[in-house]
Amino acid sequence: MHVVVCVKQIPDPAVPGALDAYNTLQREGKLILDESDSYGVEMALQLVDAAGGGEVTLISMAPNGEVSGLRTALAMGAAKAILVSDPALAGSDALGTAKVLAKCVERAGGVDLVLAATESSDGYTGTVPAQMAELLSMPALTFAKHVEVADGKIKIQRQTEAGYDVVEASLPVVVTVTAGVVEPRYPSFKGIMAAKNKPVDAVTAADLGLADQVGWAGARQEITGVTQAPARQAGEKIEDDGTGFEKIVGYLEKLKVI
Amino acid sequence: MFEWSEEHRMIRDAVREFVDKEVRPHRDELEHGDMAPYDLLRKLYRTFGMDQMAAASFDRRLAAEEASAGEGSAGEGSAGASRASSDDEGDGGGRSSGFTMLPIIELCKCSPGMVTAMGVSVGLTAAAINAKGTVAQKRRWARDLLTMEKIGAWAITEPSSGSDAFGSMLSTARRDGDEYLLNGSKTFITNGPYADTIVFICKLDEGNPPAERKVVQFVLDSGMAGLEQSKPLRKMGLHSSPTGMLFLDDVRVGRDRLLGESEDAFTGRQGREASKATFVMERSGVAAMALGMIERCLELSVRYAKERVQFGKPIGEFQLIQLKLAKMEVARLNVENLVFRYLESSAAGVPMTLAEASAMKLYAAQAATEAALEAVQLFGGNGYMAEYEVEQIARDAKVLQIYAGTDEIQVTHIARHLLA
Repeated sequence: MHVVVCVKQIPDPAVPGALDAYNTLQREGKLILDESDSYGVEMALQLVDAAGGGEVTLISMAPNGEVSGLRTALAMGAAKAILVSDPALAGSDALGTAKVLAKCVERAGGVDLVLAATESSDGYTGTVPAQMAELLSMPALTFAKHVEVADGKIKIQRQTEAGYDVVEASLPVVVTVTAGVVEPRYPSFKGIMAAKNKPVDAVTAADLGLADQVGWAGARQEITGVTQAPARQAGEKIEDDGTGFEKIVGYLEKLKVI
Repeated sequence: MFEWSEEHRMIRDAVREFVDKEVRPHRDELEHGDMAPYDLLRKLYRTFGMDQMAAASFDRRLAAEEASAGEGSAGEGSAGASRASSDDEGDGGGRSSGFTMLPIIELCKCSPGMVTAMGVSVGLTAAAINAKGTVAQKRRWARDLLTMEKIGAWAITEPSSGSDAFGSMLSTARRDGDEYLLNGSKTFITNGPYADTIVFICKLDEGNPPAERKVVQFVLDSGMAGLEQSKPLRKMGLHSSPTGMLFLDDVRVGRDRLLGESEDAFTGRQGREASKATFVMERSGVAAMALGMIERCLELSVRYAKERVQFGKPIGEFQLIQLKLAKMEVARLNVENLVFRYLESSAAGVPMTLAEASAMKLYAAQAATEAALEAVQLFGGNGYMAEYEVEQIARDAKVLQIYAGTDEIQVTHIARHLLA
């Protein structure tokens, strides 16, 4: 079983981020594995184990040939990676990113399953996996909180507001997994040592035949402005004069919690 | 070497995450409850594959040793045939020493006692068996200690023998036919209350004066007739490291438990070399512990100096507070450089001298204690409260100046080298 996992390398969320002149996040420093992608990596490793063989390939698009986040996922147990790093990719919108990743899936070859997070922790568009599936002519199953693969089919529990739906599809397929679908493993020391020597196929947009379709040149989205999120409003204080509970019950009823 | 390699940083980050997620939530139980550290240590070992690496390394070395013994070129119990804490995978000592140091540093940012429990079991007890034991003894006891499947204690200190460990030692072994009878009391024994395997250090009583008796070591199993392991002692700090007493009353053992199966295993030059190697390893480990504690003090203190407002501004704007932070940073840099020096010398295959290791330990232990006390001072009243972590670090750091050779003993080792 060959599973491809989309892995985004993002600026460390613990460090305050900064925007460039085009209102996009500066990505010049060290990048780390987006935590939301660690669930996909773990899920892929578990599915390959359950299938009794196969391998996990990572695909990533990052500036400056950055591999720090990829090494973390390789240390967890992925076999190899494809990294697209090219100044021409700067300014790529969600569709541009989806085109690049779809080409990477084709480059990986013989793919049974593509896993991605529901959205990245820095961009939050949440549209790339579905766009990628369309470009690959694969079904897209999204918000999976449980995944089973058997007999060339995949069955997921799709998270909904009320609970979950069971959705099935034939392989190959693109699946997005929710945070918490599995508990990502820590990379073992041996895995960390081995990661250094695992193959990373470094390619450019031109290598993928996408030179003019990505980056600012190909972007159909534009960030026209960025504003601070409004400060959190102070909550309502209820003085308990003996009927405080009624106000709380009324408040919860208004929220339809009870 | 002036900074950790990318590989080292990956290990550091992974262990740091483990400590924050798996150990820190238990800090209160480890500090103020009765939680023993062993399950968490085993989880650490399993999570990072340290148990499998240790077992594989042990098996490789033992196979090589057996092959070598088969050729008649090395006898059983050859000194230094297998170092417990080193798992070099054929990649150079510096890299693997770093793998040993980083968990020590990161664990010490939360629970230094866990490092002591781990270090004594793996770095002292297993190392003693590996250094002087026969192949059969290593197979019987060392492997399970190295993987943390079993917990070890290394019993040397007695109520009346501390720094003068061998001179004042009263514990004895007396021959009784083909066997030995062991008697004595040991105290301040790390892991003593819960140890499965105990290396008991004593003197062979042949009716001669104590000062002339040979030092011998035996490996004991928990539950042997005549062996009593006390409950944990109450201590100033290091609460996550159970410390206890051992009482031996005519414990009968065969020669198979005599380390090296020789009464002369610890006499002469070989014995001194083995002790020296143990001291160097132990003292460098203390420097790594100190580094973890200083780094944590600095991290907490910088954050507090920015957040705590007095006289209308963050206390970090006052120069006396800045002085404390600056002194901590100087200590951090110095101790980190000492740790890097140890890694460099390991990578170069040049072991540190005892005097160097003593100097490293002396400086690092004092620096950690000073940094922790300064952190308490910086936190003021809050720093004196158990709720704030610096209170624990200050209590824990003090032991670095006492165990693994007191500051005073380190001074004598350094001075002896200088004046030789």
